[in-house]
This record gives sequence, structure tokens and C-alpha cells, in this order.
Amino acid sequence: MQRFRAGDSVRTRAANPEGHTRLPRYLCDRRGTIEAVHGLYPLPDERALGVGVASCTKEMLYTVVFDSGEVWREGTSEPASISADLWDSYLEPEQAR
Amino acid sequence: MPARRGWRRALLEGSLPAMPSTHDVGGASGFGPIVREAGEPPFHHEWEARVFVLNRRLMQLGFYNLDEFRFAIERMPPEAYRASSYYEKWFLAIERLLSEKGIIR
Repeated sequence: MQRFRAGDSVRTRAANPEGHTRLPRYLCDRRGTIEAVHGLYPLPDERALGVGVASCTKEMLYTVVFDSGEVWREGTSEPASISADLWDSYLEPEQAR
Repeated sequence: MPARRGWRRALLEGSLPAMPSTHDVGGASGFGPIVREAGEPPFHHEWEARVFVLNRRLMQLGFYNLDEFRFAIERMPPEAYRASSYYEKWFLAIERLLSEKGIIR
């Protein structure tokens, strides 16, 4: 299921569950914008437990772009953007401002 | 029973104590400057190249997948994680995965 399209605003989940995930802590609870939609990919959080590709949950994978100010929450000398490839369950819809 | 089953069940049931997230330090400060080595070679010791190839081959043969490998590094005790070099972490992760799966004893 594709919940988001390019240009949509999203917010990453506030905290990671135990175990392996591809969402780094510095990108938790941050507002970002969908940059690209890649299709369904096996969820690495499950693959890390040894689940095979065939039986593993597949989720939509997105490239999400974040402003450096949103990520580091303080003034940065040079504004930049940070992109991360994130799975659907890491994301929630966010009202565009 | 391989040790792996124990922690996997505990993880799925949510009864595992907090995992160390020693690796997840992006944005944290206090680690000192990053020193770049001029003309850094891919490997500093011959054994590192062996570990690199061993890991690729074991994944190709289906002994474990890349996410299991990453998770094995993340599950290292914090002291060992901080004290180990890049390829030492790889070697310890390979050893742990093969041991947990009962392939080596």
C-alpha cells in the first residue's frame, strides 16, 4: 500500500522499538518531505531476525528529505538537507505548514 | 537449541532488556575529531581483506543476510564495540552469527 506521494509531508516515529531498524535516532520525531517512492521492499527490522525474503513483511520504501535545522534543532552554519531511505512503518502523515 | 532462538523469541515477545544502541550516535558530540588518513588503503592488514571476503561469501551462500550482520554488530556489548576497529567488529559479528546458528562451536 502506498500511503505517500512525492511532496507529501511526513513525521518519523518518536522512538525506535527494540531490535534492528534503519531509522537512526537523529531522525526520530522529525518532519520531512517525501522525495521519491521506490516500491515494496523487505522490512530490514524483520530480516535482521533471520526472516527469509519470501516470508518477510514488505513495505513501501521512500526517500525522505529533511532540513538540517529540523534534524539538529539548532543553528547550523551552512543550511543543508539530509536524505534517508525509510520504510512505511517509520512514518506518519504530517500536515504541511 | 541454538542460542539465537532465545534472544529472537525474547525480542518478538518484547521481553528483552534494552538493547545497547552504542552504534546509533549520529549527531552526538564528545567523541573528538575525525582524523582522516591521507591515501588510506582499503585494508590496513591482510586479515582484514580475508574478513571482508569471508563475510560476502557467507552471505552469498545464505548463512545469514546483511541485516542480520548489521544487527550482530549492533548487539555487541558497548565496551567491546568502542574498543574494536571496523574489521574487528566484522569478525566478531561473523563469529557470533555462526555460533548462534550452531555452525561453529
